[in-house]
Amino acid sequence: MRGLSPWKYLLAVWMTLVITVGFLIRIPHIPVLEETSRNLFLHVPMWFTMTVAFSMAFWYSIRYLQEEKLSWDRKAETATQVGLLFGVCGLLTGALWARFTWGTWWTFAEPRMNLSALAMLIFVAYFVLRSAFNDRVKRAKISAVFNIFGITTIPFLLYIIPRQLPSLHPGADGNPAFSDLTAPELRIIFYPAVIGFIGLALWIMNVVERYKTVSDRLEDRRNYPFA
Amino acid sequence: MIQEQQQAYVDTLAQSFGENWQGAGSMEGSSAFVQMMSSNELLPVVLGVSLIIWFVLLFFLVRVDLRIKALENELDESEKDTLTKDSSETAEP
Repeated sequence: MRGLSPWKYLLAVWMTLVITVGFLIRIPHIPVLEETSRNLFLHVPMWFTMTVAFSMAFWYSIRYLQEEKLSWDRKAETATQVGLLFGVCGLLTGALWARFTWGTWWTFAEPRMNLSALAMLIFVAYFVLRSAFNDRVKRAKISAVFNIFGITTIPFLLYIIPRQLPSLHPGADGNPAFSDLTAPELRIIFYPAVIGFIGLALWIMNVVERYKTVSDRLEDRRNYPFA
Repeated sequence: MIQEQQQAYVDTLAQSFGENWQGAGSMEGSSAFVQMMSSNELLPVVLGVSLIIWFVLLFFLVRVDLRIKALENELDESEKDTLTKDSSETAEP
């Protein structure tokens, strides 16, 4: 079959609409945030997408340990890569936003900021660990165990602990995420943006995973030309 | 003398920039597109920049996707060829 899958065309149009309407929609004046409240459509979906990607990686890692098929390891690695990619985007966009609303790029007094950076480091360690093995099966097994451990820290580092501590960040100190700082109108774009970015992550995962599959098939052919 | 020349050079540059900025401020006689882009405190310009980035990234992603698809098809075809070749060889008496 030639061309892209139909959902990819739909996603391209969806995201284009989200970006366009996200800029053009009239939003209420919110003190301190001003026009930067539009960042809600961009910064927050990074974390939602990262959570979805890591949840997928968690599932794939468990599946690998159950069946020990290398295709599950390939999927787990890809989902973790894409999750980390979106997490880093979340950190960078958050730092920029913080500079113009809290007055600083980074503050060690902000629990959510620091704990999310720590969470990213756990997944950087996952890739360092992977690079330490040449044997595919050994690498897959140990990585799956590490990933399951790593992903179980995410709810604590990103949601449970920051919500209990005093913070400048919305969604902390027992407050709901859509607090007085945000406006209900923003939800009209926010939820479609979350769906769009998750779709984009799935597309990137699909491409990366297929690339790895082709690359593994070629490697197998080189190693076992008569198989 | 040299100082005077430098001063004149800088002045010309500043002046020409100044006129450019003045030009950007007046909307008389400019096209509908320029007028639209200049509205809402230039927010549509940021939208334009974001859309350019999005379309470039999208173009790249589509291209990589299609290239992988071509590779997958090529691999499938060659594996099919190998299989049919093998089976014809084994079928021979």
